[in-house]
Amino acid sequence: MAISLQQILIQTVNGVVTGMILALVASGLTLIFGIMDIVNFAHGELFMLGAYVGVLTLAAAGSFWLALLSAMVAIALLGALIYVTTLRPLLGRDPLTTILATFGLSLILQNYALWQFGPVARKIAEPISGHFTLFYLDYPWYRVVIALIAGAMIFALWMFLKFGTWGIWIRATTQDRVMAQAMGIPVPLVLATVFAIGSGMAGASGVLFGPLTAVDHAMGLDWILKVFIVVVVGGMGNLAGSIVAAIFISLLEAYASLWVSPAQAVIVSFVVLILTLLFRPTGLFATATR
Amino acid sequence: MSDVENVAENAAPTRRRLLGWGASGAVATMLLPAPWRAAFGDAKPYKIGSLQPLTGVAAVGGKTALVGIQMAIDRINKLGGINGRPVDLIVADDQSKPDIGRRAVEKMVTEDNIDAHVGGFLSNICLACMPVWEDHQLANMIGVCLDTTLTTTKCNRYTFRTFDFAPAQAVAFAPYLVGKLGKKWHIIYADYAWGQSTRDAYTREIEKQGGQVVGSTGIPLGTADTTPFISKINGDFDGLFGISFGTDGTSLANQLYDLGLTKKYKWAGDGAIAESTNLPALGNKIEGFVGINRYLPVLDPPLDTPANRKFLDEATARLKKIDPSGPLPDRYTQSNYEAINALKLGIEKSGFQGREDTPKLIAALEGLEMKEGDDFPQGDKTLRKEDHQAFLRELLFVIKNGKPHILEAVPKDKTLVPPACSFA
Repeated sequence: MAISLQQILIQTVNGVVTGMILALVASGLTLIFGIMDIVNFAHGELFMLGAYVGVLTLAAAGSFWLALLSAMVAIALLGALIYVTTLRPLLGRDPLTTILATFGLSLILQNYALWQFGPVARKIAEPISGHFTLFYLDYPWYRVVIALIAGAMIFALWMFLKFGTWGIWIRATTQDRVMAQAMGIPVPLVLATVFAIGSGMAGASGVLFGPLTAVDHAMGLDWILKVFIVVVVGGMGNLAGSIVAAIFISLLEAYASLWVSPAQAVIVSFVVLILTLLFRPTGLFATATR
Repeated sequence: MSDVENVAENAAPTRRRLLGWGASGAVATMLLPAPWRAAFGDAKPYKIGSLQPLTGVAAVGGKTALVGIQMAIDRINKLGGINGRPVDLIVADDQSKPDIGRRAVEKMVTEDNIDAHVGGFLSNICLACMPVWEDHQLANMIGVCLDTTLTTTKCNRYTFRTFDFAPAQAVAFAPYLVGKLGKKWHIIYADYAWGQSTRDAYTREIEKQGGQVVGSTGIPLGTADTTPFISKINGDFDGLFGISFGTDGTSLANQLYDLGLTKKYKWAGDGAIAESTNLPALGNKIEGFVGINRYLPVLDPPLDTPANRKFLDEATARLKKIDPSGPLPDRYTQSNYEAINALKLGIEKSGFQGREDTPKLIAALEGLEMKEGDDFPQGDKTLRKEDHQAFLRELLFVIKNGKPHILEAVPKDKTLVPPACSFA
């Protein structure tokens, strides 16, 4: 079957845009795992609650950008609260306990949203409504803007981790928690901050993605599975690896969908996941030491 | 310490006492009979089970469906029950998953001892549960599931569908699609039981009308970003026909608009895409969509009847209680409300007392004529004996200014298709 250059380019744009959204969601998850060894199954629900905060702020203030900011802050605070009340007491125990706790939290948050906001899906209007012509499609500028914002947020996170005082503390805590504490770094506060940042990133992703679909209690479900694949393929806890993996997997799926149905193209992600687990369990893009 | 202080201390609301009062209150509330209960004395209630997706991807529809069920049962009990007996409702959540749904109905049948079942939302769950009704010889009134095979190749003697199905909708809609919108169509469908069978029904009818289906795109259930799927759609055809529902339908409609495809092609489809509960999330992106539905929450002819007004008002008030945005009733609220009322008619007609009378109940339901009125605000319908499939009026509509406007009402006798079921 002949594939036109047009279709290859369209799928490249789709792959990069989807990859950047995925990378933004994955960055919070991988940050939390890399530093705290917590596999946060409630990450998709933080994404969903972020979108709801966006809906409420947008209705009250009318500004998408304020909605984005408020969702990030509100979900970061919620994340800190979840960490302090639920996860901190479990640190140091069998990792299964935190997995079960976050899984339970995901169910609670999902049902809370259903009860609080009702079953009817809500809308977040996109801040930019223009289109540009991409061969036979009118491609929305907003999708490109999401990719750029996601890239900017991930870059800001990287700068913060690389050069900020708290970033240095976070990296020190990742390398050796006991030594960091001995050096006077407030490790418990650092851990709470990490969970808050990871949650805030999920909340912001929810608002950014909201205009493309509808905001409802189950909106995080489709993303969370893909995000886990990305985090495993990129290397659990490896921020740069997750970002590369998000774009790599999205592009692979997009190109595969040129030859097979997009539903079958998803299988490519699982094949990559299985191969990674078999031959490079620390992740395709993992560095030698963490 | 004086006696006064003792009394004051005893009455002080400590945490333990508050918990105790709360628990006592809850128990008292549970034990307190509903106001209509006293009227029934010792009459044994009919136990009706209802499986609904109250959580998971299909929760939106499951919640509105349950409102229809509860509304019908409350009305029946207020009016004296069925044959002088009250109706008890036992609800189970299938979490939008077939395995959980199957286990839940097994429990309703074997432990809760229900007399009949009304419900089922996702077609794959309805299909998974079909053998249970046959094994336990229990009447099952489908509430929402639209998969064609439920009343054709996979039909069984115990299952009834008191609302329309895709072959009838396709017969009603195809002349309009081909005659007024265009000859060549591309179908985008939810890639599971209902979507696939509906795609086949429309393909058949569009071709019968002299049109052509030039391609189709299946989208797996629960796909939030459909762009990789729909960005491949291109070519020389007149219209896009969408078969989706719930949040999936909202994502599809939003993203088709975003890619300019609803501007480039005519845009039509199953009414579930533009269901009243989806409209708030679609905004102006659904303008101009032409759909088919058995029920619309409007009071335009032919729905300008006192019965529909009453149904619409009460359902809207009840829906407001479960969703602060105040959605209007959708076809899921309507079909579940009417399915309970159809069962009521069957029980009254057959003198059904319990499960052992199921054959009599089946005989009463076969060929049942349902007349427009408070029990059936949607309109007249006939429950065909040969396949237990109902035929009813269909409404063709267009979305204008964010609301559905009826274009045409297709009478029930213009939606007939031959039966394709043989009971074992």
